[in-house]
Amino acid sequence: MRFATLLAAVAAFALGAAGTAEAQFKLKGDPKVAFVYFASKNDGGWTQAIDEARIRVEKELGWKIPFAERVPEKASAIRPVVERFISRGFNVINGSAFGYSDTFKDLSKEYPDIAFVNPAGITNGPNLQSYYGRTYESQYLCGMVAGAMTRSNKLGFVAAHPLGLVTWTVNAYALGAQAVNPKATVNVVYTGSWNDPVKERATALALIEQGVDVIGQHVDTPAVQVAAQEKGVWGTGHHRDMREFAPKATLCSSVWVWDRFLIPLYKQISSGSWKTKPYGEFVGLGHGGTDIACCNEIVPKAVADRVMAARQKIIDGWHVYTGPIVDNKGKEVVAAGKTPSDADLWGMKYLVKGVIGQL
Amino acid sequence: MPDHAAAPPAGAYRARRLGRLNLEVRQSIGRVKHAAFIAFGLGIGLAISVAILMAAGVEAANIFEEFVVLTFFDRLGLSSVLIECSPLILVGLSAAVAFRVNFWNIGIEGQFFWGAIGATVIAIFDVGPPATRIGLMLILAMVGGFLWIAPPAILKIRLGVNEVISTLLLNYVAYLFVLNQIYGAWQDTRDRFPHSEAFDAAERLPLLGWEKVHLGLVISLAAVALVWWLMQRSRFGVYMRFVGANPHMALAAGIPVAMTIFLAVGLSGALSGAAGFVMGAAQEHRLTGTMAAGYGFSGIMIAFLARNNPVAVLVVAFMIGGLYAAGQSVKVFYSLPQALVSLIQAIVVMCVAASDFLVRYRVHWLRGAAR
Repeated sequence: MRFATLLAAVAAFALGAAGTAEAQFKLKGDPKVAFVYFASKNDGGWTQAIDEARIRVEKELGWKIPFAERVPEKASAIRPVVERFISRGFNVINGSAFGYSDTFKDLSKEYPDIAFVNPAGITNGPNLQSYYGRTYESQYLCGMVAGAMTRSNKLGFVAAHPLGLVTWTVNAYALGAQAVNPKATVNVVYTGSWNDPVKERATALALIEQGVDVIGQHVDTPAVQVAAQEKGVWGTGHHRDMREFAPKATLCSSVWVWDRFLIPLYKQISSGSWKTKPYGEFVGLGHGGTDIACCNEIVPKAVADRVMAARQKIIDGWHVYTGPIVDNKGKEVVAAGKTPSDADLWGMKYLVKGVIGQL
Repeated sequence: MPDHAAAPPAGAYRARRLGRLNLEVRQSIGRVKHAAFIAFGLGIGLAISVAILMAAGVEAANIFEEFVVLTFFDRLGLSSVLIECSPLILVGLSAAVAFRVNFWNIGIEGQFFWGAIGATVIAIFDVGPPATRIGLMLILAMVGGFLWIAPPAILKIRLGVNEVISTLLLNYVAYLFVLNQIYGAWQDTRDRFPHSEAFDAAERLPLLGWEKVHLGLVISLAAVALVWWLMQRSRFGVYMRFVGANPHMALAAGIPVAMTIFLAVGLSGALSGAAGFVMGAAQEHRLTGTMAAGYGFSGIMIAFLARNNPVAVLVVAFMIGGLYAAGQSVKVFYSLPQALVSLIQAIVVMCVAASDFLVRYRVHWLRGAAR
């Protein structure tokens, strides 16, 4: 998924870029929401998770929310679709991709009365809000499950691109595993692609060959889980509950629960109390966005309980990256008692102790 | 097999019982009849599409509303048709010019990309004063398209190398070169996304003041006028026709065959390059890896339906633009899958293309008697 090739950009926008204060936005009339997807609505991953949230929002709020799928990340494709929605009275446009950032920015200036929101985007304005989830929190919990279940103490992780938002899931996975099993190590391999089932499968098989018995992932397809099931080992999924594809192998998954974030957001927009943030919404575990689908019945109840306790601790404000944290070369990257800023997270360029691999 | 030999030929039975179809090549066809056949094909295509849309849950009354009223008789609808059809007209003309001299230019997308690359070079390196930027971009885009088709043209003329293969393969070369640039030297440093940096205001085609319709439409219409004059009124047009009909006879008659082919094909490349410029300067406002997608086959299809006639290209491109815009509309408002929208568009175009059969042949139904 190309939705977030963003490390440098996010760091730049988080650090620099003249930030105006929070801006309040008032919608004219009742909210009418429409979604624009950059991929197929049943892509099995990112987009499907958004579509599932859309359906839950429809049910919860009793609205009819249309969508348009496969609108590629280019202005000439996005603009006519969005303008059509606007022409028929839709006034809350929900995007789906990093690549929509610029076009949404332009459109938000041209249509100041319309609210634009965009997951994985990087542009913001008085009527435009980008949002993303703190996936390191849910991946930390998956790491705990993996650490508790492994017998070889060797975990694997198939990652997409060596960007901050991917690397933070790898490191959190290792930290979670080590919290329950100090001997656990994580072998990470970056495939260099968001969505490449062939490479993901080959990588998973190579990891299993090396003695890895639980494989985590931050790539789009369930290929890793399927490979794990075939070889009789375990895995943990990403984006959606991947038990659907590998019911025997997938122990738990880091999943998107956007409806929990979007329903309050739409209510705010509707009541006129919506304020956009100049650097976007970065949604944590307690506020929707990301969560853990826990757990497969193979996982003992004691482990699941421990994971849910940690989940509550995170919701209550504990930071997964609370120092001291040392990288895999022995250098301290987060001092004792400190936590990294959001900008530090987006710019994460280290692997923590116990992670075997290179950025 | 002896049994087989004893039985009467299967065809004989059928011929006696059902009669048979007889096709006769038409020498000519009246305009009204020609138009009627096309309308017939269009009608069948639309009927099938309506059936599909109704099966997908769209109401019949809404279908007419979406495809006709809101596409051609609505401000936003009509303006988006005009925006869609500007590059379509240019690629349609590009295909028509090359096909007229029997040169199968399958490389429209490659030339389109090189047009976009040419425009991008001017835009991102800020060549020349801002006031002349747009003009320079158009010129370099046309030069880019021309240069990309020149090697296959020369290879074809000099060595008889099959242009279908050479132009087709050069599409991939152009595409990979664009990827190389947008993932490398020209990658947008602001968001690290694989596209070039955005063009400045002076490097974007100005709007005409009616919705979002831009100067690209004027450029396309000017190209239609120019190509019409060239193909239908000039001496060069006569040469093109002659060379297209029979190059050996043309050579024997003293027509500069090689030069005619080269210039027509070069013009074809330049027109595709101009389409790339329009796409970049008016819609994308940058170089992207997917901007040419589909324009090659759209161009070929438009030229085919228009029978290489430049004015007909204008009409067909407008209709195809309408079909795209209407498809987008139903996709947006009825949340239809993209596959269904593509299917409908393909069915309409195929039915219109198939009506060509009735234009070329007179069909007789011979009852029983014939052997």
